[in-house]
Amino acid sequence: MTDAIDFAVKLLDIHRYFQRGSERLDVLHGLTLQVPYGEFLALMGPSGSGKTTLLNLIAGLDKPSRGEVWVGDDRISDYPESRLTRWRTRNIGFIFQFYHLLPVLTAFENVELPLLLLPLSARQRRERIQTALDIVGLSHRLYHRPGQMSGGEQQRVGIARAIVTDPKLIIADEPTGDLDARSAQEILNLMKELKESLHKSILMVTHDPRAARQADRMLFLDKGGLVDKPPDSFLLDPHEAIA
Amino acid sequence: MKFLGLIFKNVRRNAIRSTLTAVGTMVLVFVVTLVWSILNFLDAVTAEKTDNLKAIVTERWQIPSQMPFSYADSLSDGAARDASDVRPLDSMTWQFYGGTVDPAKKTIENMLFAFAMEPDKVGSMLDELELNSLPAAKADSLRESIACLKDKRSGIIVGREKLAQIHKRVGDRFKLTSMNYKDIDLEFEVVGVFPDGRYDKSAVMNRDYLNAALDAYPRSHAGQKHPLADKTLNLVWLRVPDVLAFNTVQEQITKSPFYTSPAVKCETSSSGIATFLEAYRDLIWGMRWLLAPAILLTLSLVIANAISISVRERRLEFAVLRVLGFRPLQVLALVVGEAVLLGAGSGLFSTLATYTLINKVMGGINFPIAFFGAFFIPMQAIWWGLAIGVFTALAGSVVPAISASSIRVTEAFSKVA
Repeated sequence: MTDAIDFAVKLLDIHRYFQRGSERLDVLHGLTLQVPYGEFLALMGPSGSGKTTLLNLIAGLDKPSRGEVWVGDDRISDYPESRLTRWRTRNIGFIFQFYHLLPVLTAFENVELPLLLLPLSARQRRERIQTALDIVGLSHRLYHRPGQMSGGEQQRVGIARAIVTDPKLIIADEPTGDLDARSAQEILNLMKELKESLHKSILMVTHDPRAARQADRMLFLDKGGLVDKPPDSFLLDPHEAIA
Repeated sequence: MKFLGLIFKNVRRNAIRSTLTAVGTMVLVFVVTLVWSILNFLDAVTAEKTDNLKAIVTERWQIPSQMPFSYADSLSDGAARDASDVRPLDSMTWQFYGGTVDPAKKTIENMLFAFAMEPDKVGSMLDELELNSLPAAKADSLRESIACLKDKRSGIIVGREKLAQIHKRVGDRFKLTSMNYKDIDLEFEVVGVFPDGRYDKSAVMNRDYLNAALDAYPRSHAGQKHPLADKTLNLVWLRVPDVLAFNTVQEQITKSPFYTSPAVKCETSSSGIATFLEAYRDLIWGMRWLLAPAILLTLSLVIANAISISVRERRLEFAVLRVLGFRPLQVLALVVGEAVLLGAGSGLFSTLATYTLINKVMGGINFPIAFFGAFFIPMQAIWWGLAIGVFTALAGSVVPAISASSIRVTEAFSKVA
């Protein structure tokens, strides 16, 4: 067994393929990756490069066809589905491109959702929610519904929901993809703040080079493997890449 | 319990759809409640009892039964002749007398049919009017009406609804032009009203009044008896303590040489009523096995349709819940919970409204089967609505709920990532 405790995420020789009839579709082949604790990592790549598949594997939403996935000291590639589901609640915070807040719930209730799955009293939940919403600067919007908030505010609620369980790792899927430039920068600042003050490890998938540049490190995925340089389709100054 | 709030809010998510589904549920539960109330009543009256049961004596070969009144006394005694014979605990005779208050323009509303019987038997033999089982106030009022009926042969006790239909009140007098006893037109004085319920459209008169009129008939008709003079006794009811006593009384009556022209039969009231209901057998079968199940199926489909649309619209949301750590069973419970909440709430509301509307406002369902004029919604029907709502919601939501719980979690992520 490999020792993975020094890394927030460690992928070892990951292969993922899908069977479509008689055809085998190799999405990831032999991918190895290590993400130290407290790192803000940006993952870029063209459509079809395998970013989503990689994200699903690290988040415990999918399993590799071969290889090991470690998140902290959990070798999640061996976990059965039911254990993975429980594990996700405590260990992974998710930030989505389109926020994915429940429209019928207030900010407070949306943030409360993952806590409903944990053995916490109502008071404990309330304290955690207020802390999370304080961190994202929305303590004055507790009882507003998503429809009453701007895109930037909704994404802040999404971030509060991601951190409220105090997870090891935050996975952000195009977190600024639906925001104007100013709101996007605010969200990125907030994510950097989470990394700095709460020492969260963050894995962000993005198509936006400006967003990616604000991470500690950028990785490029192309044709199912990590590459040293961004593919030609990416208009990014190669000197800025810290692959 | 933690998810209850979420379930409530999801039901309110699409107010129009939820309202339409609830209204659909309420309408269908309303119809099922009506059908089941009628079936429930018929089941109750045709269910065989083992003790304190009623027997009914009628003409053996003819419906309607028309026996001579001379049978009345001995049949009331269960045809007992010797000291060792079994005698009924109680009995009553029924003679039907019907007429209209407006012979020039007969309508259902101005017609009145009365049971001609001994006044004392009203409080001891009529179902649901036993004085010892009525609430004190109602028993006192009925006891007073019965006393008036005994004192005043031309008295009549009428149900509240029928009284309103003929525009009379207690103390009013009216004349009935007979529809079954030609030329026996009688004047009545309303001496009381039945307690609300089963007898709202019924009436009871003193049998002596009818018999005296029949006795007087020859004096005004050249000594000729009334054509129905020997056919006035329609039914005799007997109360016996148990099945053994019933069997003995039945044997005494059927073996008696006294009842030959016409012959009579004695059966339990439930089997007697069942015989009456035989003519409606297909209708009742259809209500029980076609109409009610078809409505329940329709209700399940209405709920299934609404929940399916909701699930389809919220696939992404369920995927997000799964990503956040909700287990498939929890997602399934959320969807089923929404359906059950909607179904149970609207079902319960529907039966409460049906109970109030039918029993309190309308005074029963007019569904004339056999000699039952109106049916009422039983108290337990209130729980039927809840049960129907829950059952149909479960049946209707299981498939969409399974679909929601099996949504792939990866659907939550951006397609472009």
